[in-house]
Amino acid sequence: MPHYPEGTVRALLETDLVTPATRAALEERLEAPLAYEPQFFDADTYRLLQAVAARIFPQPERQTPISLASGVDARLLRGDADGWRYDSMPPDREAYRLGLGGINQAAQARFQQAFTELDEARQDSIIALLAAAEAPGENWSQLPQDRFFEEMLAELTEIYYAHPLAQEEIGYVGMADVPGWQRIGLNELEPREPEER
Amino acid sequence: MPDEETLEEGTLTPIQPEIQDPLLREILEENSLQADPSRDPLEQPAPLPDPDEIVDCLVIGTGAGGAPLLARLAQAGLRVVALEAGARHDPKTEFATDEKAQNFLFWNDERLSAGQNPVAFGKNNSGIGYGGSTLHYTAYTPRAHRGDLTLHTEFGQGVDWPFGIEELEPYYEELEHFLGISGPTPYPWDPGRRKGYPLAPLPLNGAAQLMERACAQLGIRTSPAANAALSARYYQEGVGWREACTNRGFCQAGCSTGAKASMDVTFLPLAEQYGAEIRTGAYVTEIERDATGQVTGVVYEQGGRTVRQRCRNLFLCAGAIETPRLLLLNELAMGSGQVGKHFMAHVGMQVWGTFPEDTRPYKGIPGGLISEDTHRPKDADFAGGYLLQSIGVMPVTFATQMVRQRKLWGQQLRDYMRNYNHIAGINVLGDCLPHTDNFVELSDEKDARGVPKPRVHFTAQENEQRMNRHAERTMRQIWETAGAQDIWAFERYAHIIGTARMGTSANEAVVNPDGRAFDVPNLYICDNSVFPSALSVNPALTIMALSLRTADRFLENARK
Repeated sequence: MPHYPEGTVRALLETDLVTPATRAALEERLEAPLAYEPQFFDADTYRLLQAVAARIFPQPERQTPISLASGVDARLLRGDADGWRYDSMPPDREAYRLGLGGINQAAQARFQQAFTELDEARQDSIIALLAAAEAPGENWSQLPQDRFFEEMLAELTEIYYAHPLAQEEIGYVGMADVPGWQRIGLNELEPREPEER
Repeated sequence: MPDEETLEEGTLTPIQPEIQDPLLREILEENSLQADPSRDPLEQPAPLPDPDEIVDCLVIGTGAGGAPLLARLAQAGLRVVALEAGARHDPKTEFATDEKAQNFLFWNDERLSAGQNPVAFGKNNSGIGYGGSTLHYTAYTPRAHRGDLTLHTEFGQGVDWPFGIEELEPYYEELEHFLGISGPTPYPWDPGRRKGYPLAPLPLNGAAQLMERACAQLGIRTSPAANAALSARYYQEGVGWREACTNRGFCQAGCSTGAKASMDVTFLPLAEQYGAEIRTGAYVTEIERDATGQVTGVVYEQGGRTVRQRCRNLFLCAGAIETPRLLLLNELAMGSGQVGKHFMAHVGMQVWGTFPEDTRPYKGIPGGLISEDTHRPKDADFAGGYLLQSIGVMPVTFATQMVRQRKLWGQQLRDYMRNYNHIAGINVLGDCLPHTDNFVELSDEKDARGVPKPRVHFTAQENEQRMNRHAERTMRQIWETAGAQDIWAFERYAHIIGTARMGTSANEAVVNPDGRAFDVPNLYICDNSVFPSALSVNPALTIMALSLRTADRFLENARK
């Protein structure tokens, strides 16, 4: 599995290989303040979302994990949509409330504890049930479990891979495009493209 | 039935609740300004139009349907005004090479996707802004084939277009030369064309080379694709020199160099040079009529104000969802009962694989290589056909659609994504038959403006399912031959087509072969909603061809 050197994207951002508009977008994420007060979710639900996100994107190697729950909270607060919603799903705010509640119901049903109190292995077993659309809980009668999992997974994934450090992790340097790309064929790299270790 | 709270949530969606913390309020305001500069309160409000003026032609929408006819009508000396719901951007300074930052290019008002194969909107196929969806189209520009327009004659299924390919060919030719399309000459699947492409094809990226190699082994003909991005600098009337494509691979999130022939760097500046007026941030809510049923003007919201513009003729070019939505909201052109009906979406299955080679999927136009050998496959058990394209992909788009399909999470998800630089894809673009179960309607749920959200029903029928199976088999074989591992398929449907079909009878179609509404003599519709059938190619070039043709038919009829 490919690994790329650390620091490549941060270094590129400081060069004129990146346009000001691109730099502004990426630096905003890179320099987002660590402290985030949830404005849409209440504190308990927000901690639950953080715990779920930490199992979907475990980041044990990072001292400061890329924050995912804050992006969801901020979006739901603004009420932004992405152009569509499954007709079988309630509006996004309601879907998250019901879905996160359902995750806790599943944790209670299986382990008689809240999701945030479970160890990682047990948390994973609840996520696995959800991914298989087999999690217990009364909320799932109002919310299609497979669609909720898909939507939440897609949103967390979008937030994660939009982050410069996650892009660095997968060796993406498409943001450094000011000179364009001349070497675009198979196995052709330009000097600013990181090589795998 | 949803309970009361749910309904209230639904109506609430895009409204911002009061934020108490002044610092946070300031930060959020700044962020939203960066995301959408058109909301800057310091920006001067647009001047109010003369309430008594009656313009010759009013055009709603500035995408592939509206922009070409806007230019044509302006060049004919008519007083024309276009209303565009989104903002005008300066791609060179505003467009970031960042997928998330470019979300302002997409029509993000929520649509409800129903049926067995709910269609994704937003970045998948719907745009907003000066240039409409062409701001984020991939700029694939294959011509439709003769047989695409005569599906019923050939297969006894689907419908025929009211005219043949001869009607479109002169426009294809004109467009290819006006836009500066890069492509192979002669075109392998249509070698008898009178004129070749004005520019040589764009270079092949990793995915294209892999597909080329495997297809050669399998006896499938391939060619560098026709694409509306410039392989050399090109002079554009009304714009000046447009520079060649720099292979930045970001076509689907906005071209910042002007190499891609989106409407904002081609037809719209041309239209303005000839006196067309384009009003941005203008969201149409009402179409007004007199007692005889003629359109007299429209009402739109702009910068918090309600504005009326009177017109002699209206051209509705808002795309295959917003066009029928406006017709349904205004109960306009409803005589045939066809408004919103026969929604179609192309069979767009993708197959992805992991290769030992370095592919770096962010470089080069996404769809470098094409094959149309599958236009009428010998072993087909379906009507119509499809084309094959190689695909590169931006990382966030790839990751999100991958998890929707594969449902990977945890360490497995992060591990898989580490292969991003070794990923390559192929997709198909296949015909879709019109079906009565697939349609657009108004839902009970309202958006922030109080307008009902559209609900779009789509279920892939037997013919589409058979095509999916054939296409998946073909693509898996190509990728296995190319040496891919961990191959997976993503069933998807792309482009929004139908919903205000063109035909020869007022009982069966919304518009006549000239694009004029049967019920409303001064209403023209021109976008993908008038397509009677979906075609086996990407629709943008044909929408533009219809747009020029609609303008020419209008001008000719006006002279009579």
